[in-house]
Amino acid sequence: MFLLARSLDSPAKFFNWGFISISIPNLIMIGLIIVLFVLAIVIPFPIHKGK
Amino acid sequence: MSHKERNVDLAKWSGPKRPYDLVKEFVIALLVVSVLVAGLATLFGSPDQKAVTLQDWAKKAPSDFIATTTGELAGTTISAAYGAPYNDASEGLSLGPLKLQKWAGVTIPVDPKYDFVIEPLAYSKDSAVPIALDQWNGASANQQLTWATDYASAIEKAGDSSKVTSSNAFGPVPAMSAGLLALAQDGNLDGLLTTSDTPYPSDFTKPILFLADGGYLDELGAAQHLHGDQWGMMNETGSYPGQSWLWLFSLWYNVEPFKSSENADAQIFFVLFLLNLGFIFMPKLPFINRLPRLIPIHRLIWRRYYRENNL
Repeated sequence: MFLLARSLDSPAKFFNWGFISISIPNLIMIGLIIVLFVLAIVIPFPIHKGK
Repeated sequence: MSHKERNVDLAKWSGPKRPYDLVKEFVIALLVVSVLVAGLATLFGSPDQKAVTLQDWAKKAPSDFIATTTGELAGTTISAAYGAPYNDASEGLSLGPLKLQKWAGVTIPVDPKYDFVIEPLAYSKDSAVPIALDQWNGASANQQLTWATDYASAIEKAGDSSKVTSSNAFGPVPAMSAGLLALAQDGNLDGLLTTSDTPYPSDFTKPILFLADGGYLDELGAAQHLHGDQWGMMNETGSYPGQSWLWLFSLWYNVEPFKSSENADAQIFFVLFLLNLGFIFMPKLPFINRLPRLIPIHRLIWRRYYRENNL
């Protein structure tokens, strides 16, 4: 855990594409946000049977 | 809103109903978010960059410190030419004919030459400094400018202030900048600049402006990808995720004509203002208000309703 915290204090790596430059941690977060959005749509809403 | 739409809003709902426990959902969401926050904070912590001080700068990049001090005396630094709210040296940011920065006025007066250099030097223990200050104060403004610009040029040519051969052509400037460097290296300048206007060290305007005039802070920012042209608004120090939701602000700083514009801040503020107006008036914008029919995500979310009602 200590090593992980230390590694987070070191500079991030960046994904560069044309004029776009985005850090890998940001890219991971954006990926997670998209996954959560898709899951929120795909996972069925609980149905209360008998009501 | 048309008369027909108002009637639709007022009509009583006759479709299917379902129970919904808002309190239960709130409690579950609160618990899940609390566990996530506590767990992730324990696991990853948070960025813990030490504050950059004038003492750090003076110790780690003394030549840059000397060059910036000389620039303050010559009046060629960023803060010396910033304009409002610190001085009236320039008009600053404008948006077409709107002189936004100038109109805001000088509300936090800062005279970099006096505030960052001459005033703190009164506290120097270096015996050469009072003599240098007397020589500086006794000279004409033109002479002061010549000394400072000549010394700044000599540092730039030599690449390092320590390689500049001493010369009478620089007047008292080398002694003054060396005196300020010693004050900063001892840690005294940080205190002097934060307490020059208030007894409590709570106003960091002056040390931050002085730091920003130099190359040291600029290089630290560049190394952490925090500059505007590095999409820095989205980034955090280290390898922590940053403010990725600011991508729309950050984008404009990286494309022309904003990238090379001196008024980029005002122009991008205006572009975002227009885009926000677009969001507010989205239902009234032709084509945009038809997008939900072309991209029917709402039908996916409420698919059971559309299926059960054969819509």
